Amino acid sequence: MAAQVQDVVEFSHKQMPFSHLPHGATSYFARHLQVVYLTRENQMQWLQTGGVNLYLVRSGVFDLVSIHGDTIARLTEGDYFGFPSLLTGDKIQSHLQVVTAGLLYVLDQQSFDYLRREYRGFEQHFVRAHANRLLSSQYKTRDQSWSERKISELMSSNIITASAQVSITEAAMKMRHYGVSSLVITDENTLLGIVTDRDLRNRVLASDIAPSTSIQSVMTKNPKSIFENNRAFSALHLMLKHNIHHLPVLDEAYKPLGVITSTDLLRQQKSDPVQLIGKIYKASSVAEVKRYSSDIPELLKQFSNNIEDISVIGKLLSGLTDALTARLVHLYQLEYGQAPCAFSWICFGSQAREEQTLHSDQDNGILLDANITAKQRVYFAHLGATVCEQLVECGIKRCPGNIMASNEACRGTVTQWQSRFVTWIKEPTPKAMLNCKIYFDLRLIDGSKSLYQDLCAALDMIRRDELFFAAMATDINTNSVPIGLFHQFKLEKGNTQHKHLDLKRRGIVIINDLVRLYALNVGIYKANTLERLDALLKFDVLSSNDVYDLKDCWRYLTQLRLKTQIKREGLPSNCIDPKTLTSLEKHQLKEAFHLVRHAQQASAFKFARASL
Amino acid sequence: MGLYPWLLRYLREYKLKQSYFDQQKYVIIDLELTGLIPGEHEIVSAAWLNMRASKIDLCTAGYMLNKEVQDLSQSTIYHGIDDDALLEGSSLRGLIASLATAINGHVLVCHNAVLDWGFIQRVASVYQYRITPKAIIDTMKIEKRRLLAQGRPLTQDSLTLSACRARYGLPEYKQHDALCDALATAELLLAQYSAISMGRREKLSIII
Repeated sequence: MAAQVQDVVEFSHKQMPFSHLPHGATSYFARHLQVVYLTRENQMQWLQTGGVNLYLVRSGVFDLVSIHGDTIARLTEGDYFGFPSLLTGDKIQSHLQVVTAGLLYVLDQQSFDYLRREYRGFEQHFVRAHANRLLSSQYKTRDQSWSERKISELMSSNIITASAQVSITEAAMKMRHYGVSSLVITDENTLLGIVTDRDLRNRVLASDIAPSTSIQSVMTKNPKSIFENNRAFSALHLMLKHNIHHLPVLDEAYKPLGVITSTDLLRQQKSDPVQLIGKIYKASSVAEVKRYSSDIPELLKQFSNNIEDISVIGKLLSGLTDALTARLVHLYQLEYGQAPCAFSWICFGSQAREEQTLHSDQDNGILLDANITAKQRVYFAHLGATVCEQLVECGIKRCPGNIMASNEACRGTVTQWQSRFVTWIKEPTPKAMLNCKIYFDLRLIDGSKSLYQDLCAALDMIRRDELFFAAMATDINTNSVPIGLFHQFKLEKGNTQHKHLDLKRRGIVIINDLVRLYALNVGIYKANTLERLDALLKFDVLSSNDVYDLKDCWRYLTQLRLKTQIKREGLPSNCIDPKTLTSLEKHQLKEAFHLVRHAQQASAFKFARASL
Repeated sequence: MGLYPWLLRYLREYKLKQSYFDQQKYVIIDLELTGLIPGEHEIVSAAWLNMRASKIDLCTAGYMLNKEVQDLSQSTIYHGIDDDALLEGSSLRGLIASLATAINGHVLVCHNAVLDWGFIQRVASVYQYRITPKAIIDTMKIEKRRLLAQGRPLTQDSLTLSACRARYGLPEYKQHDALCDALATAELLLAQYSAISMGRREKLSIII
């Protein structure tokens, strides 16, 4: 018989159910378990192979995640996992996600069954725990997935009806009045037909039918319908089968109650980022905005698992920040009164380029009307301070360089902003170059469009300044790609343990800078790097091959960076350890860096011939 | 003539280092001693555990007391062994025979292997046992290398088993008998391997 490790016995005997069982049970457990060390990297290998086991957490922190990606429970010292499969014989439905690496005690099925047979308390404990977990709230919400909900819970409540005799014009006016996309045609309490926006287009306008004709000539007669007690799933099925978007809902006496639309059903899919943006735009209080913003990180995590092109995330996050900002600006005006004069809220840097990451900070400012008074400026000072502070509370960090609307330097008229730009351009110090890189990526978030266009027009004068472009090109060329003379990676060593490659600073930033340089040179006032590249195709500063190469490089590096940001911790953000790459990935990365270097040299040749 | 066995050993060692970490069978051993010098001091007890495919099998745990121990210094009383317990122990010959069975064909793992392996070799030679581990891994040496590589200062007690474990966030063990320490060493090895390999499947050479 194996010797027993005293510490394992002591630890196990403190845990339920062993604390209520004879010592023999603990001793058996301690002598038959295996110890494994679970880390983020090796978790898959433990939980995929080796059949079903009972796991007891000895140290570390792990999240139990359902197949839908929801966190069911956070497991720490003394928590069990895996018993549902042992009890039911089903495959493991959920998986573990390592938060902090640690030790797991693993008991195989045979030993688990022995303990179940020998100790009733053991059996009871796990059967009960299994039942509890099934009842726990996370399971409940998932089990009642939206497709199983009743139609009556999802449909638009008040039904808009008309009689069959009304004219098409009257019907359309009624639809406009109630803001609906369909009208149910009834006779007393009997469903006769339905008319939708699409019918008005296809059967009236396109068929040149007189608007005075009665509606019954163009309605869909005896439309497909559904009962209030049916499930959403049936509605979806009907819609897909017949390619329709509106279904009248009837009660058991066939009386029309309402309409359910495909939009109603879509709205049920909660983890949709576009939904969240919509919700933010409709939020009626700052508290509500904050509540929605707290969903962003989790949403992003789920979303990133479901999409192919990960660079969409930058756009998505910027879209969310735009929505937050615009809504907060709007709510401020609701509380403190309308702005006393025209203004635009603008953003710079990564938000403007629509390349935000979870680590991006605020870069914003306010553009003010040219005739603003000192008194009116006070209103905007408070607006800037309030909104920036609220954005911080929504999880968007303060800008370390203080490029924020709360800073007085970042609130100004077109002339004031222009003179700031001019100082940087005329005196291209490194600091000024850095400012140019941030401020020349700008985008309107909220407020007056014409003010914003005035600023863009004012910026056009820089195009004539060759010295500025030379200085920019020289500046870009001081940053080098991390490839050595012998085609090897040049790693950087930060204050962390591992050497790493900085994908952002040594790759993406260089591309962004280069593309900005070319875009400014030909007068493209877009901020997004890919959009700028597309626009550059029309000019002959870069060959189309170069444009496509830069686009591919940029996408590849961004994708790699976002992947690492989401999956790994421990490295500085934006960095990657090349050891974790496959040889193909390494090769691609080197190619990408080579292309960047090539483009860098080309820019120096084009703009900075004199100074290099 | 003389070159041949040397070459053979070299090749065997090379092959071993090129094998994957999780392909090897390991035995983790901890000895309780009355002092630090083989030949002068004695083994009080020995404990061992097997590890295979990165899993530590507690059903392979073994523990033996040397009932012939002459001199019980205070350190062993501290570890909870008294004269009564010793009476139920085995002979030193029996102990080294069990260790020989446990070690042969395995990679030996100890925390501070110089000490434990020194004692094992000494006792084995007295009773004429041949003990040949496939290789010896020293978790203390691994840790020392890691700390030096990271440029961290080495102090007197930065290499103790519990200091090393704390660095990987492994739990603190209250017991310090040989078997607990053997398990503690095995867990430390897994944590070290996982940190060094950064989660990839690596060869034995990265820790030897």
